[in-house]
Amino acid sequence: MKKLFTLVLLLAFVLLANMSLVTADMHDWWAEAAAPYAGTTIRGVSESTPPSNYVADVLAAQFTELTGINVEFETTSWDQMYSKAINDMEANTGIYDFVYIEQDIIYSYLAQDYLVNLTQFAADNMDLAYADYDESAFTSFADYFKNADGDLFGVPMEAFVKVYLYRKDLFENADIQAAFEADYGYPLTPAETFEQYRDNAEFFTAYGESMDMDLWGTTVQGSTGHPASTYEFLESIGPSFGLYNWGINLETGSAQSANGGALDGETAIEALSYWIGLLPFAPPEATSSTWDEVASSFAAGRAAQGWVYGENAAWIATDESRSAITGNVGVRLPVTAPGVIEAAEMGEGYIGYYDGGAFGVPHSSRNKEATLLWLQFIGQPSVQAEWAAAGARITHTATFDDPLIAEQDAKVDGYYTLLEEQGPLFAGAPPFPFHAQVREIIDPFVQRAILGELTAEEALTQAAAAVDEELSRLGYGM
Amino acid sequence: MRNPRTGWLLLSPTLIILLIFGFAPFLYVLFVGFNQWNVFSADDGLVFNGLDNFRRLVFDDDFLHSVGLTTRFAIFAIGSQVVLGFILAQMLTRNFPGKSLFRIIHTLPLMVAPIAVGAIWRLLVIPGFGPVPFFLDRWFDLTYQIGSYPDQALWTSVIMDVWHWTPFVTLTMLAGLSAIPREPVEQAKVDGASRFQVFWYVTLPFLRPVLLTTVFIRIMDAIRTVDEVWMLAGGGPGTRFTGIYIWRVVFPRTDYGYGSSISLITLYLTIVLCWLLFIAISGRRKGEVE
Repeated sequence: MKKLFTLVLLLAFVLLANMSLVTADMHDWWAEAAAPYAGTTIRGVSESTPPSNYVADVLAAQFTELTGINVEFETTSWDQMYSKAINDMEANTGIYDFVYIEQDIIYSYLAQDYLVNLTQFAADNMDLAYADYDESAFTSFADYFKNADGDLFGVPMEAFVKVYLYRKDLFENADIQAAFEADYGYPLTPAETFEQYRDNAEFFTAYGESMDMDLWGTTVQGSTGHPASTYEFLESIGPSFGLYNWGINLETGSAQSANGGALDGETAIEALSYWIGLLPFAPPEATSSTWDEVASSFAAGRAAQGWVYGENAAWIATDESRSAITGNVGVRLPVTAPGVIEAAEMGEGYIGYYDGGAFGVPHSSRNKEATLLWLQFIGQPSVQAEWAAAGARITHTATFDDPLIAEQDAKVDGYYTLLEEQGPLFAGAPPFPFHAQVREIIDPFVQRAILGELTAEEALTQAAAAVDEELSRLGYGM
Repeated sequence: MRNPRTGWLLLSPTLIILLIFGFAPFLYVLFVGFNQWNVFSADDGLVFNGLDNFRRLVFDDDFLHSVGLTTRFAIFAIGSQVVLGFILAQMLTRNFPGKSLFRIIHTLPLMVAPIAVGAIWRLLVIPGFGPVPFFLDRWFDLTYQIGSYPDQALWTSVIMDVWHWTPFVTLTMLAGLSAIPREPVEQAKVDGASRFQVFWYVTLPFLRPVLLTTVFIRIMDAIRTVDEVWMLAGGGPGTRFTGIYIWRVVFPRTDYGYGSSISLITLYLTIVLCWLLFIAISGRRKGEVE
């Protein structure tokens, strides 16, 4: 027995000694590799999101401590981020050493050759290659940031899906369930069909009014002064009805049904009509809401259900300082029209937007080597779990199995499991090199439909014609 | 006699800076305005297209709509500022308790950056969270949602601009009123002129240069308003002014050629508007000399 105890003690000692050696080695490696760049300041820009804020608040400081390389990371509004990054890369000014590349803009950036091929750059600088950083560790989301040869142009830093969130405290309340069943003739459950979703929305709006509560039936990301409304329609509502790729047919270069497009087709009109029809059941701030305000409204308990970006799921469900509904957040797949799930399973469509982004290095950067070290630091396995717990984002396959994520998964009603298992039903934005240009054309029509100045059919008919005109002007059309 | 060379020498730093940062960019915009240039087009280089950009904007409903909105915004905002500014300036020429404190508080909005003004007003009026819609609903049963009603967004922009810039007009008017000699005013009163006649026939003519300068500055500012309105309503319906439209064309759409042509036309419209106003207010006619 004594021998066994001594043996276990010895093994534990050897293990601990090894671990501390490995940690020391790791620290030594970063310090040694970064020595030529110590004191350098690298600058980046990103949208202010939970994952980006974690980078700014936690990872940047850790990296600086290890390497002596300073990280100035600017988290700003979505519009400003794009303006700053594109202007910098276009003018070749070199202000930013790394920029946030949202999944939907990568094709535009690649078409303009703004970004450094990271796979190639790492291969050319083997002395800077960190052993624990492995491109194959990323989930398939990283594929969106690769070229045809499989080379990576951005290190994924966030990836999430837009899910259906609902308030469990309301949906599981026996009195409310009885009242719903009395009114609608079937049990109250999280919505699985659009009809049910609308009934839920109508019921909870009336319920909120009757109880003198600030409660409405659904969120609607319907800002009339921001592209967020177009995005909710094109990337969440549209696909769940079976409208894919914004209704633009890349082969014919047209959005009009007459030329192979679908933006003015029946499915699109049905989707837009349905979505606009939810506005009476949404909080009054809906027509001023972008994705941030939608998350805030839901966290404030002002909506019973809604489409909310998954990056917000963790803090809404767990952060009591910011959310009034912690512990009461239910997570489900968004509702879909018949046949849409089946089409997604067969790879012929998708049910919503698999969103996220990566950090890439512009050619204009003056500190590419130091930035490569930084990107490997944020792309290494050891930082992934805590980042995922804080920002509800997962970019490494192994992170799904981390105990910390399993614990967090239970608090967020299985969001991470849904992301892992149902993620393939979602898809990133279509591979348009003209993403922002065409979206800007569609915006006013969607916004006028929200305001009731145009019917859904009028808005989409005019939008499709305007898109075709713009595609033609850009050289991608008929 | 002073040497003119010394004068030019002293002026040269300013002239050089103006040439580099004012005139050179203008020439560049002029050049780009006659080209098709979108960095995200299939052919991302500059392609000379003559007057195509200008022809396009004549038929651009969004641009024409933005001009109409901007005109409404400018007329109501500047009109209100001039009237309010004059009343406040008149008030400040007299003594009353707390005058110094009032003058400080009244001038405070001028010191706030436009982007901060927009943010403050957004927090005040955002539906669901802002106090203005809340109390309008509670006290008067009025629905106030700038995201849903374009007219409300426009009027909110006007009120915000009036709040921000009336102090500037007050201060310039106050300077103008202080410079008016007392004799003509007293003479008019002795001759039996009413208060309105004193204002119309004595005060206003003396104030004309100040008024003209103030209105010119405010017109130019109003036409290029972007930041505070963008912050308030994002340039949605009701607030999609010309400045915001140009911003959208140039930045998110990266249509530099078309954006430049709109900028040029907007500059031209501003000059024409100011010239017409100058003639209207100063009473100058063709052939008249100062």
